[in-house]
Amino acid sequence: MPATPRRTWDFILMMLTVVLLAALGAQSLVGTLYVWWAQRTIAGWLQGPGYASYVALMNAFATPLVAGIVVVLGLCVPKRLFERRTLVAVSAGLVLLGVAWGVAGRSLQNGMAAYLTAAAGLQAVVAVLTVQRSGGLSYLTEGRGRHLGSALLHLGFIVFCLVVVALQDSALMLPVFGLSALLLGAGSAMSFYAKG
Amino acid sequence: MSSAEPAAILDGAQSTLALLGAPLGYALLIASVVVFGLAVTRLRREWLRPALAVLGALLVFGEGLLVWFHWRLWEASALVDPRTGATTGRIFVAPWTESEKLYVWALILVAMTLLARRHAREMEPYLGGSVSALTVGAVLIGRPFTHPLPDFLASLKGYLAAQGSGNGPAWFAAFQQLDSMRRYYYDTWYMWVHPPLLFFCYGAFVVSFAAVVLMLRERRAAYETTAYRWARLGYLPLTIGMLLGFPWALMSWRGEAWWWSGKVDMSILLWLLYTAYLHGRLYLRREGMWKWVAVLAVLSFVALVLTYLTTYVVPGAHSVAG
Repeated sequence: MPATPRRTWDFILMMLTVVLLAALGAQSLVGTLYVWWAQRTIAGWLQGPGYASYVALMNAFATPLVAGIVVVLGLCVPKRLFERRTLVAVSAGLVLLGVAWGVAGRSLQNGMAAYLTAAAGLQAVVAVLTVQRSGGLSYLTEGRGRHLGSALLHLGFIVFCLVVVALQDSALMLPVFGLSALLLGAGSAMSFYAKG
Repeated sequence: MSSAEPAAILDGAQSTLALLGAPLGYALLIASVVVFGLAVTRLRREWLRPALAVLGALLVFGEGLLVWFHWRLWEASALVDPRTGATTGRIFVAPWTESEKLYVWALILVAMTLLARRHAREMEPYLGGSVSALTVGAVLIGRPFTHPLPDFLASLKGYLAAQGSGNGPAWFAAFQQLDSMRRYYYDTWYMWVHPPLLFFCYGAFVVSFAAVVLMLRERRAAYETTAYRWARLGYLPLTIGMLLGFPWALMSWRGEAWWWSGKVDMSILLWLLYTAYLHGRLYLRREGMWKWVAVLAVLSFVALVLTYLTTYVVPGAHSVAG
């Protein structure tokens, strides 16, 4: 039953994604309500140190969640390409690459950027193989259009995360962002509107 | 060019807008009350669609009036750099700015209501009520005809007054402020893409919610499909519209923690909920799943309403609240 572990892995990744996004969503909602309350009840809160402390606290809570989302996003890539044993090795390799790069550069941002770049490379291979109708790719949905949509959507998300994590102050920000927007737009359109 | 001419254009345009807009506002209110009455009481249901068409025609006429007003503002808004005497640009304010947001939402929704085909008759009362509420809000709260673009007009009038005063430093300060707004806000490409995409998705999500309400009331799967199709239609512009806001935010709010702005957070929450709804629907055939999908659909719509309101009640970078 070679399909079972992969589906289990798919399920774990999906649940992790849902939990992390839900946590980030809950944090956003609580933060918004707190800002609304604080602005009404604490005089000069927005202009004073209260707001700065709030932003620092929100960033501190969000950083592990965002890092977790990035890791899960990267781990979603090799599952399309590899069987179980290779999948574990490649996934572990991706994480190790990110950790090593981060430790070497003493920067979480650098580590995530290296991890995302490697994941983007792998996902680009997935997209090309999907276009070429190569066998061996594993998708949960049916239909070539949806497969290609899913491949482009994931690649777009990874590239967008790369922009957020590493390219905000770079001259490459706009062109790379434009690429991610194109991939996400085309991927969403094909995922939701493709007939098959 | 002296500042008297732009000031005269501005005053004339504002007077004409108020002159035509005030009675139009009353006509919109009356049409909204009629549509709402027909939608709620279920009397003379056959009149609801013609009444919606009349309301739609009035909204279109009003939009034409607003576009004309914006064109006159463009003529009056030549920004002259006091240091060089060169005109740096004019401002064509996008017709969904400040006081015009609810109005555009109402316009898009009435168009969708009249163009919808699948379950159009069943959804009409809900959509008619929604269009009426948005129109009343647009006329009474937004006041686009009688109190148009309050922030922009305050800045432009301040600039024109400073230009005409002969006070160099005051003119330069007013010029710097307005020209900066022109370059980073009013005169930017994303102002023509980001808001209309989001208003389009807001309209589609209202139609989707009307079908969800019908589905919950009637327990018919066909309504669920209608709700899904409209949500799907709104999801792509929502995704692209939010994405296009990202580089805008980076450039306009550099140095600010804009990502913790209430509007940005609620928009992300909105996107997450609609993503969950559309994905959850893939498993609709599983037993009892439709209830969870319906819960997600309702929560998504609540998030949409809260996202819109957040702009006005929660302070932050993407907000007009104090």
